[in-house]
Amino acid sequence: MNTGVKIFLFVLAILAFYSYVGQMVPQKITYPPETAELAADMTTEELAVAGAEIVAGKGTCLGCHTIGSSDASLRFPDLGNIGAVAGSRIDGMSEIEYLAESLYDPDSYIVDRFLPGMPAIGKPPIGLTDDEILAVMAYLQSLGGTSTVTLATTHSFTGQGASGSDGAGATPSGGAAVALGAGLDGPGVFAAFLCGTCHTIDKPDRLVGPSLFDVGSRLSKAEIYEAVMDPDATLAEGYPGGVMPATLGASGFFQKVSPEEIRALVDYLASHTGE
Amino acid sequence: MKDLRLIKDYRQKPLPALLPVAIAILVTAFIAALVALPAAAIPQDAVANPEYRAFPVIGSRVAIWVVAQLHLMFAAFVLAVPMFAVIIEIIGMVTKDKRYDALAHEFTKLLSVSFSLTATLGALMVVMLVVLYPGVTQYMVSIFSWSFFPYILLFFLEAVFLYSYYYGWGKFSPKVHLSLGIALNIVGTAIMFIANAWLTFMNTPNGISETGALLSMADAMNNFIWMPINIHRMIANVAFGGSIAAAYGAYKYLGAKTQEEKAHYDWMGYVGNFISISALLPLPFAGYWLGKEIYAYSQSLGITLMGGTFSWLFIIQAVLIGNLFLAANYYLWVSMERIEGAERFRKFIKYLLASIAITYLVWATPHSLVATVEEARKMGGAHHPMLGVLGVMSAKNTAVNILILTTYISFLLYRRGNKEPTVSWVKAGNFAQLAIFIGAVAIVIFLGIFGYFVEAKVRIALSVPQVAVVLFTMISVTIIDIYLYRGARSRGKIKWGEMPARAQYVLFFIAVTFAWTMGLMGYVRAGMRQHWHVFGVMADTSPDAFTPTLGFASNVISVTVLIFFSFIAVVFWLTGLAGKKDWEPKEGALIPDGEHADEEVVR
Repeated sequence: MNTGVKIFLFVLAILAFYSYVGQMVPQKITYPPETAELAADMTTEELAVAGAEIVAGKGTCLGCHTIGSSDASLRFPDLGNIGAVAGSRIDGMSEIEYLAESLYDPDSYIVDRFLPGMPAIGKPPIGLTDDEILAVMAYLQSLGGTSTVTLATTHSFTGQGASGSDGAGATPSGGAAVALGAGLDGPGVFAAFLCGTCHTIDKPDRLVGPSLFDVGSRLSKAEIYEAVMDPDATLAEGYPGGVMPATLGASGFFQKVSPEEIRALVDYLASHTGE
Repeated sequence: MKDLRLIKDYRQKPLPALLPVAIAILVTAFIAALVALPAAAIPQDAVANPEYRAFPVIGSRVAIWVVAQLHLMFAAFVLAVPMFAVIIEIIGMVTKDKRYDALAHEFTKLLSVSFSLTATLGALMVVMLVVLYPGVTQYMVSIFSWSFFPYILLFFLEAVFLYSYYYGWGKFSPKVHLSLGIALNIVGTAIMFIANAWLTFMNTPNGISETGALLSMADAMNNFIWMPINIHRMIANVAFGGSIAAAYGAYKYLGAKTQEEKAHYDWMGYVGNFISISALLPLPFAGYWLGKEIYAYSQSLGITLMGGTFSWLFIIQAVLIGNLFLAANYYLWVSMERIEGAERFRKFIKYLLASIAITYLVWATPHSLVATVEEARKMGGAHHPMLGVLGVMSAKNTAVNILILTTYISFLLYRRGNKEPTVSWVKAGNFAQLAIFIGAVAIVIFLGIFGYFVEAKVRIALSVPQVAVVLFTMISVTIIDIYLYRGARSRGKIKWGEMPARAQYVLFFIAVTFAWTMGLMGYVRAGMRQHWHVFGVMADTSPDAFTPTLGFASNVISVTVLIFFSFIAVVFWLTGLAGKKDWEPKEGALIPDGEHADEEVVR
């Protein structure tokens, strides 16, 4: 047989083998998610059932979380008993508020032994609507507890879910817990990047970093800008260097924040003169 | 080795390569300008209302998929060959061994036609994007508008440097010629970096507002995975390009008529494969970095990639990479048959094979089996209760690292084949190397097992010391080996040209597997966005917004690779024409002065 023909047949055989391997793994078509149809008069139980479908489908929750697993090496918390513990996770926070915060703003509280990483599911790419999130909350309550949520339930995050068309067509925002150049105002940037974890803004109390209660009277806007973008350039007395750059760096602040958002943050901070 | 000579033919027969390049540049520039003008004014419309046109029969997605992949394969080859051609040329200059210069020249012969095909396919891809996905193209141009101009300029410069490097072989002083090669590499790399910014933006968009409007093009380019993809592609291109060059050597070897030709093309195949596998070894490390950055950008994107919809794709990838390692090792073991003195290492091959087989199986063990909601429910979650122990990253990372070390040992044995060290510290040197190997394997396995007993945030970080230990081992053992075998006594000759035909088919196998792996990983890089053109920013609302089955994707990849190798066959054939004798009419067919054929011939 001609060498060229032999080589051609050999190449064909290899390609056929790899195509065969491709057929041997599970075959699944993934369609873009559609918004769940939730009737306003659904009972809590019906809502929990719908929530279970969303958790397994559009919410993609089971890609990371397990339900009822005792495996100690899980990368994300098991949800098997979430309905029983949600009300006592954070002192003074109700079950509803805790679940809502976990879904809308997951990085604000990280369960011990785990790392942050869950996206805000009311924003793209998951993009659940407020009603869908209520359904998820009803289902989560049912895992070890009793569902109480209905579509009439409100919480601190109501109104922050995706628009109702469908997940795919939702207004985009960048997909991460903190949106990329999300067009936030000053207080929005301060909250989104968790500045308040280390700095007080409405009182002169010292936390990890100095209070920003009167920062507008101590620093010019240019100095505030420098303190944000290059925190170690001038350190406040008694505070170690390296902490703020590392913290902001870890949050992706320098990659995600837009020039407009920085200006808004600086203006916001400069307006705090201690009065 | 010294009797090996390449019949060097500097007579160039310029192929009509510049014409398609010029056409490609003009078409690309024209379309980029055409699209850029309206796009700058209405990017928001593009985000909200992407437009689509249907491609007949196979649909728009498959059409653009195949053309883009073909363009990428040729582009990878065209970027890779100058890299190792220049390195080989430098080796030739330093060692003053003409064989290296001839080999580098032989490699670059493949470039001319390949470059034309790359350009033509690139132009076709741009045309198809504009026609089939005008909304997406318009949006992308609105983000990266100004980057298209340096791209076009660099592309033009690449054509200039590539053809002057190729056609200028032997025409300039070595230093000037080498400078042309280096300039070609710099320009080629810059082109790839720019194009990588466009595609990585679609995965991890940056520098835009909530509505998708551009805030900073620099930030859009320097997105989360831009640099990891740059590095990963640069290494992968060399691996891929080396494998194609080795396949060319194999093709020529199988058709060689003389022992001299066989010896040359055996050597060429070996060098191409050596380059390919040397680049393959660090590739998983670059892959780790890329994966880490994807997770850093969005955990849900990372989970989609590794643990969700595409989890089984990585089992296919494990089969491919496992095959690559297996074939590369097999080629080395067969190659040792032609080295006098290497038979003393034959006894180790069964142990190396066992190590490769075990690590291959562990790597290909699935863990996360989310294929359908029903399956997940039956399993009580995302993980298989029985296969979970081997299917986790602790086991897989350990397996890959040991697989790399095993392949490195095969290289080491091959390198030592016909050498007998003469330095006084042979025992100490061998002991030190052995101690490093044992220590490295022990640390890698210990960290792998340790990973089962610690929480996730500690476990994830363990892959870094594992990789560091393996890199340290390969570097330190190589350094010791170089000094250990300096001035070594020869135990016999390397009998170039005495390789069995099956070894040449292994080189084809490696090249096809590399191409298929490229196709698969290209698919998952684009596919992990699922129903997003630009992840989280611009949704895909076309009829092709769904993610197809892996079986369907495999078929598309196979067809694409088949088309690619059909083109490559044309490249090999056209390249071979340059070395053929000029056509001459049969004896008696010419009349004096050659102005007219005689009547007999005409009839």
